[in-house]
Amino acid sequence: MNPLELTLGIMTAVGGFVDISELVFAAKAGSMFGYALIWVFFVATVGIMVFGEMSGRVAAVARQPVFNLMRHRLGLKLGLVTLFASLVSTLITCAAEIGGMGLILNYLTGLPYLVLAALSGLVLMASMWILPFKWIERTYGLLGLLMIVFAVSLVAIHPPWDRLAGGFVPQVPHGLSTKELLAFAYFTVAILSAVMFPYESYFYSSGGIEEQWGPKDLLTNRVTTTIGFGLGSLLAVSILASSAQLFGPANVGPEIPGSAALEAAIPFGPTGLLLALLGMLFAVAGAAVETCMANAYAIAQFFGWEWGRHKKPWEAPRFTIAWIALFLLALLIVMTGIEVMSLVEYAVLFSIVVLPLTYLPLMLLAGDKGFMREYANKWLAKGLGWLFFAVVTAAAIAAIPLYLLTSGGQG
Amino acid sequence: MKPTDKLKLVSQLIDLPLLDKDRRWCGVVDDVEFDGGPGKPMRVKALLVGPGAYRGRVPGWMFWLVTKVAGSRISRVPFNQIDTIGSAVHLRCPAEKLGLHAVENRVRSWIPRKGAL
Repeated sequence: MNPLELTLGIMTAVGGFVDISELVFAAKAGSMFGYALIWVFFVATVGIMVFGEMSGRVAAVARQPVFNLMRHRLGLKLGLVTLFASLVSTLITCAAEIGGMGLILNYLTGLPYLVLAALSGLVLMASMWILPFKWIERTYGLLGLLMIVFAVSLVAIHPPWDRLAGGFVPQVPHGLSTKELLAFAYFTVAILSAVMFPYESYFYSSGGIEEQWGPKDLLTNRVTTTIGFGLGSLLAVSILASSAQLFGPANVGPEIPGSAALEAAIPFGPTGLLLALLGMLFAVAGAAVETCMANAYAIAQFFGWEWGRHKKPWEAPRFTIAWIALFLLALLIVMTGIEVMSLVEYAVLFSIVVLPLTYLPLMLLAGDKGFMREYANKWLAKGLGWLFFAVVTAAAIAAIPLYLLTSGGQG
Repeated sequence: MKPTDKLKLVSQLIDLPLLDKDRRWCGVVDDVEFDGGPGKPMRVKALLVGPGAYRGRVPGWMFWLVTKVAGSRISRVPFNQIDTIGSAVHLRCPAEKLGLHAVENRVRSWIPRKGAL
């Protein structure tokens, strides 16, 4: 890959990294617990780098996307259960992203939320039909880079850098009541889930297959997953840190997705607010497309249909019908009037429960020398893979009890 | 590996995706059909492809549900049509010859062929 393509790929990964759940949980986490949850973003980002790299490597070497392999490894019965659970969690995530677009457009225009959500969904569907896949990915990913305004805003408000850096060290704040400790644990699980959403590896590895990656692309894969995901995560950390600096001390609870945009308005006024809202809009739009496509990829790969967005819609007909139906279904969920925040909560909750089932077959395959030859997992990927598998399994077990005990992190 | 090599049915064949001669996805190995009988060697005669082949592999209610959604068709892929077996099963012929793209082609006629760049 030439340097321009590589740079564009990294920038797309950065702009497309943040989604509505990360926006919401980063802002809330900063306001409630100061800098104390930054380390969770750091750990989860290393986790998505590890699994993202594995899924890209498997795509490049075995030339198989995640869902084909999952069925082969888990068998038909458990595979169907995993497929169903993934579809539900990713569908809810897609609905949350479309709802998020409606809300952001509502802040920008003042028009009714549901009308804007419906319009957003239709515009996204039209863009998915008309534009070649690379254009869609690049357009939303690169425009999502407007979210860099959050990092610039953080610098402009002069945060206490020593305390912010201290947030990267794993910690539990002192002096929390039992209720607050449970809320802290809930946020830990929710951030892990929001950063490591399973749809990300389905989408990423399917993209690798579509672009016909081979072993020569392994360096691109490694650079994109480490630098692209790493820089993308820094945007989420910027939102958390600004929230800790601006909202926490003022006892402001950023309960709606748009609250985060105020972080850019404080140092830069209306221009900052506009850039932040537009950046959020495109980042969330990109995530809506990714979630919808990830679900269509999953179904098509599981049943062995023709698939791919590098093809014209009629060249992979069942796949096309699948993504249209899934998008309409997500839109229907939004049209019921369910709150975006509730959708975000359900999305992270369902996703963390599905994560171990997604990552186990991927890890087994990435370590299989029969398929992966000399590119099979070495000691570092193996060690980190099992470590993160243990982390997401523990989080999956704890997620629902924590959600119930804290009423969704209310503390 | 070649289909004539010794292979482990469950870990090296079942649930692998199928790619036809033109590298198009055309199903998954849902089950296998054997040839042989008492006192005779057993050989794989064909790969069974399609949701109808899920019978016996999933609980009854799940089979019922899948067939309600996806139908109950089964296509047979003669074993001699397999070229290689690896992370996918590569076939020697186009999917249409084995009836593997029947649904794909039917659904294709529903999709308008315009508007996409």
